[in-house]
Amino acid sequence: MTTFKQFEDERHLLKYSTPEQSKCTWLSFQGIKVPLYRFGSQSLTDVGPSGGLSCIPEEEQSILDSLLLAQWEERMWKGLFKYDVTTSEIKVIGGKRKFLAQLNKGWNMDCFPVPEENNVCHKGRPFVFNWMKDHEELLFCVAHGEKANPELIPAAAVPNGAILILINATPVEYGHVFLVPCGYSSLFKFLDARSLDMVTRIAVEINHCSFCLFYDCCTPSASHPYFQGCYFPNPLPVELLPVMTLFGDGQAGIRICQVTDYPIRALLFESNDNLKVLVEVVAEICSCLLGKNIPYNLLISDCGKKMFLFPQLQTLASSCTLSAWECGGYFLFKSGYEFDCATEEAMIKRLNAVSLDDEGFQAVNQLCCSIASKFTS
Amino acid sequence: MESQLGLIEQSFNVRYSVWAREALDEFPDNFTITDPSISGHPIVFASWGFLKMSGYSKEEVIGKNGRIFQGPGTNRRSVMEIREAIRQERPIQINLLNYRKDGTPFWMLFHMRPVFSKEDGRVIHFVAVQVPILRKLRRLSGSGFGGRNGVNLCEDGSMLRETVFGSCRREVCSDSVVELGRVLALDSVLDSDNGELEVEEPCEANDSEKLRAATAINNILSVLTHYSESTGRSVCGKRGSLSGMGLLGSSLIISLGRIKQSFVLTDPHLPDMPIVYASDAFLKLTGYARDEVLGRNCRFLSGVDTDSSTLFQIKESIRMEQACTVRILNYRKDNNSFWNLLHISPVRNATGKIAYFVGVQIEEGCRNQDRQGLSPEMRQLSVVGAVKVAVRSLSMGASPSKS
Repeated sequence: MTTFKQFEDERHLLKYSTPEQSKCTWLSFQGIKVPLYRFGSQSLTDVGPSGGLSCIPEEEQSILDSLLLAQWEERMWKGLFKYDVTTSEIKVIGGKRKFLAQLNKGWNMDCFPVPEENNVCHKGRPFVFNWMKDHEELLFCVAHGEKANPELIPAAAVPNGAILILINATPVEYGHVFLVPCGYSSLFKFLDARSLDMVTRIAVEINHCSFCLFYDCCTPSASHPYFQGCYFPNPLPVELLPVMTLFGDGQAGIRICQVTDYPIRALLFESNDNLKVLVEVVAEICSCLLGKNIPYNLLISDCGKKMFLFPQLQTLASSCTLSAWECGGYFLFKSGYEFDCATEEAMIKRLNAVSLDDEGFQAVNQLCCSIASKFTS
Repeated sequence: MESQLGLIEQSFNVRYSVWAREALDEFPDNFTITDPSISGHPIVFASWGFLKMSGYSKEEVIGKNGRIFQGPGTNRRSVMEIREAIRQERPIQINLLNYRKDGTPFWMLFHMRPVFSKEDGRVIHFVAVQVPILRKLRRLSGSGFGGRNGVNLCEDGSMLRETVFGSCRREVCSDSVVELGRVLALDSVLDSDNGELEVEEPCEANDSEKLRAATAINNILSVLTHYSESTGRSVCGKRGSLSGMGLLGSSLIISLGRIKQSFVLTDPHLPDMPIVYASDAFLKLTGYARDEVLGRNCRFLSGVDTDSSTLFQIKESIRMEQACTVRILNYRKDNNSFWNLLHISPVRNATGKIAYFVGVQIEEGCRNQDRQGLSPEMRQLSVVGAVKVAVRSLSMGASPSKS
């Protein structure tokens, strides 16, 4: 216990030292000091795999990876989570697709940190944060920096335009965090290229093959855009499937593929060395889908190099009925009975139910390819 | 160069009597023996079967590192797994793409085991058996081989070999999404002409090939053991103290290898909770060699002045399956003591059950360990987190796509 005392004291002291007001209208960071990770001044183009950062397992853990794991483990050690998510069982659902199932009795999709004075879950308004006493849901934040190399400042005010890395009390897997763009982006209701660029860069700099990012676009209900991320120790089933190339641009190094033979029609965007263009293309596609009222999910894996897009049927509920990890083939079950009885057929049906039909998917494919050629020509 | 070759000759002759080579030549199997104690980890013996299969002469192979048989299509991750197994002095069985002298690739099941000195438990050699993996294509109808299904594929003609390779190549493609794709920079293997990737029979060793490799390696080990007795420098296939010790999966070992701080994993399901993994930094901190710590309970770090109430506290938190942080007086191999800020935590696997306990050590007063803003305490917790993620990985069991 004593080992953390110093760290704790530092935080308490600093908390009241500099009252620097952040511009986030929906969150007040007055006086809060948290660890701040600043990217190096290079852009995503420079930090791409050819620029030195790459996902090679023989490498050492990156600083950002260490920071996230350490902060998460510290919160766990302090008992901030309702349960130890590593006690939940994961299994492969029988069948050729190797869907993954997790039994997580405590998980609640809609329940965000419960305010102490007001025991209500804010359904549909997820980002009205009610801070725990010491703002401990905020693990750290990530922002652009001016120095050539990334740096970690142990305690700093939240700068404008930062990505906040938050936890909630009911994680889906180890290291489950929410990545919330704050500042400039708080004006936007939806995913923009800048936020996508920053979170992709977080995935690149975490440089851990198990770390995935998720985005669920729930049109048209407006809420603050946010990503989720966690360490899925096994690759998601959708990542293992063969793909068919629809668009390949050797020069810009981006490729759009169709995932073959998967119950929910999906596209894979990948780039070998030009994440910047990849991000621009995907952000533009996402904004077009939104304009057409097509809900979608994004799954970012492989240290930021792969982005899976799952366009969904517009349903009456006007929100995504599946989360991005479900689209990827990872299903959570709250009851042991459902967990035991989960079958591949049922999961296929679930994915199938929200998949676009051939015609709709073709239209999305064309849209993607035309946007991609616009950006890469 | 002369002395290097002398060393290589000696490496074999010092351990095994003159009849050993003759006895090994009786085996039809493809295998090599390497010596990790000589710089470059060279091959010191190659069977005639191996030379025939690889197309190299004996002179071209002896003294070389096994990597000369690898090529552009060799899965880098597999190579890394082998490297880690060597570092950790563990057996490994893995499918690997190698290349003959003429540049033609072939798939084989690579099965490697360390050979230990009976005397002190050090690793003397590694024996690696290579069993060629040959597969009939499921869809041969269009390729003109339909009538030749009965052909013994082991005595293949080159055309058949190409077909075999073709099917394996496809496996590389789909496999690349699984493993390679996560590890290596994206390659253009998934070209559009492969768009309709049928999932062919996976090019993985089947049970009979695995059995063949295991049998061969056992035969070789018993020959080596037998012919080492007369030299007075006996070897054995198992490190005495480690018999019965559970083996860690090679992909787990790779993930753990990324963590550079001092830590050990202990297995609570084995008698006396022995160390089953020790990081390089742990060996550096304590001054012990890997084979001196694997298989032992951590109590060898304690000494005369170690507070017994601290030991009790550790024991209690392990019993309660809880994490704990203590400050404990530990002793290095040279008997110098140091204050260890030790954090211990249970680590659970995919079923949610405790698989190991991780112990992460920080030497008190060694404050220069700060790494770009991360305090030693935070780095300690990051080790716990990284180990938890690695251990939680599900072994996919029957899945053919994981090796």
